[in-house]
Amino acid sequence: MKLRRMAAVWAAKAAQAASVHIFHRQGVTWAGKIALRICPDILRELASQVRGDIFIVCGTNGKTTTNNMLCAALEAEGKKVVCNHTGSNMLNGVAAAFVLAAGWSGRLDADCACIEIDEASTRRVFPYFKPDYMVLTNLFRDQLDRYGEIDITMNILKEVMQSAPDMKVIVNGDDALSAFLAMDAGNPYITYGINEKVTDDSGVHEIREGRFCKKCGAPLRYEFYHYSQLGVYECTECDFRRPDIQYNASDIEVGDHLAFTVEGRRITADYRGFYNVYNILAAYTAARASGLELPHFNDMLAAFNPENGRMERFRVKETDITLNLAKNPAGFNQNISAVMQDETLKDVIIVINDNAQDGIDVSWLWDVDFDRFKEANVNSVTVSGIRCQDMRLRLKYVDIPSMLEADVEKAVCERVENGCGNLYVLVNYTALFSTRNVLKRLEEEK
Amino acid sequence: MENRETNKTRKITIGHLYPDLLNLYGDRGNIACLMQRCIWRGIGAETVEFELNDEIDFSKLDIVLLGGGSDREQMIVCRKLKDIRQAFKDYVEDNGVVIAVCGGYQLLGKYYRTEEGMIEGLDLVDLYTEQGEGRLIGNIVLRSDLFETPVVGFENHGGRTFIGGNSPFGKVLHGYGNEENSGCEGVVYKNVIGTYLHGPLLPKNPQVCDWLIARALERKYGSGELEPLDDSQELEANRYIYERFVK
Repeated sequence: MKLRRMAAVWAAKAAQAASVHIFHRQGVTWAGKIALRICPDILRELASQVRGDIFIVCGTNGKTTTNNMLCAALEAEGKKVVCNHTGSNMLNGVAAAFVLAAGWSGRLDADCACIEIDEASTRRVFPYFKPDYMVLTNLFRDQLDRYGEIDITMNILKEVMQSAPDMKVIVNGDDALSAFLAMDAGNPYITYGINEKVTDDSGVHEIREGRFCKKCGAPLRYEFYHYSQLGVYECTECDFRRPDIQYNASDIEVGDHLAFTVEGRRITADYRGFYNVYNILAAYTAARASGLELPHFNDMLAAFNPENGRMERFRVKETDITLNLAKNPAGFNQNISAVMQDETLKDVIIVINDNAQDGIDVSWLWDVDFDRFKEANVNSVTVSGIRCQDMRLRLKYVDIPSMLEADVEKAVCERVENGCGNLYVLVNYTALFSTRNVLKRLEEEK
Repeated sequence: MENRETNKTRKITIGHLYPDLLNLYGDRGNIACLMQRCIWRGIGAETVEFELNDEIDFSKLDIVLLGGGSDREQMIVCRKLKDIRQAFKDYVEDNGVVIAVCGGYQLLGKYYRTEEGMIEGLDLVDLYTEQGEGRLIGNIVLRSDLFETPVVGFENHGGRTFIGGNSPFGKVLHGYGNEENSGCEGVVYKNVIGTYLHGPLLPKNPQVCDWLIARALERKYGSGELEPLDDSQELEANRYIYERFVK
């Protein structure tokens, strides 16, 4: 078995190196696929060599940021961590994370693992190993053409939770869907959340999931919403209510930086976006739940640079560019809020693709509150990507005129040339990688 | 320009049924499209949202939109439907305009039989739906007798709908439609359109949107004449889908 494992590791490393050098791609999923083909048991074997805890991160939004942040938090405390940093989160990507971290001997030297897993792929990954912790960030409407309704995702997650009854679920208690799932599955669970009202979301008309109790079907009553369906809720009929929050963030500041207090400690970060409070809090809770004191948590945040197109900054000629992923209504609405927190004049480019990984159905664009751009001090909007026509129409029906340029590089160059010097590029999933490559190249070219 | 004056007195009211439950797949786009295309022409437009326990006075409505929901949510709605069935039927028989999408389309019929049980429909149109093997998902293009411009959209449904002797909304040029092999999509009955197309349906198909508005005005004011709008962006988006999937 050992030889086979070594062969799998060598082949995967070679495959990844080749694909990086020859195709300039990350080649992660390819490497995972090859390793599993050569040694089908490799994921089970390598996962069993992790000395300490295995964390997995699931949920519609925030997986990659939370997972990478958790990894960085563990590393800051001196742990050796296996992590699928690039966000390749299906079976092959998960296998690749372990295989590429293994030594040439085919053995893994790791204290813990932080692995994000696509919700639908959990069923394929769980047979190989049972995690110690699952972080469940939230459940929003996303890619209905791929996953079907949220109910289907919830059924899958419940099934895998019950297949690992000792796994502790670290759950966002502000999400009625996630909280219900954690309670319903019967696993031990630990909650994080925000008890205080932070934002005024009266201008937001987004469609909210979870308006009805998953337990009895009666309407839920919300004291307030943070955003989407995240908030403080209870059932109008049965005993289902928001669980007590064990890791509560209070005294929250949201603006050109973030700050909050948890367990009496002030946490600060130089990011924008309210949703990042949840990402930081989730990573903090997971690491604390595993017993770490986290004395270096703030230092980790100060140095944390996701470099993955989540609020990533570039500078091309005289223009500051912020790239951000937005792949479903909940994420996009949060993105618009983050853009609005920058009160200076800005240009916006929206890039929408409809490749398989994006979800080939672009109806969700109509569930995003784009009309809020009217109050966002926006100089111009350019639509780009494969489905730029749909995006242009979406804006037309809220009376926002836009320029159309299907080619992302041309769209960016035009704004760098003629724009106001502050550019936001909001992209969905497959557009992220191509757009990021374009921005990196333009930045280096100057 | 002379019907500007009459436009000022023309107004339509759109009833959006149960958006708290039936709100999958960008139904808001259909409402936004109906509203804007009236407003741009100076026709008054108002949308009234009805939640499950609200009374619905159909005599005050000119267009009814019944959207899609998950099977579970449809089950909740179907319990309520019995109470409004007769009033809704009278509205339809009196040429009331209805646009029913996805789950809403299925609810127009007698029933939707799923693995989990039977969802009883409104029985407004003689059709029924059975859950089939797998979901029918993808971009779809139709040729409808009602319009010259093709109808484009996206379908995602597990149900197969059988419309008997009724007229379909269109012939399928690309995609599945009512069932895998029928070659037909949707239904048209009086001023009712039922269809699986979302995407949403109306923004990329302004001809369908205007047909609904025109029928509603005709019923209310005797004339459904509409001032043309600049639809170049709508038609470009429509043509993109047509050319990508049909040509």
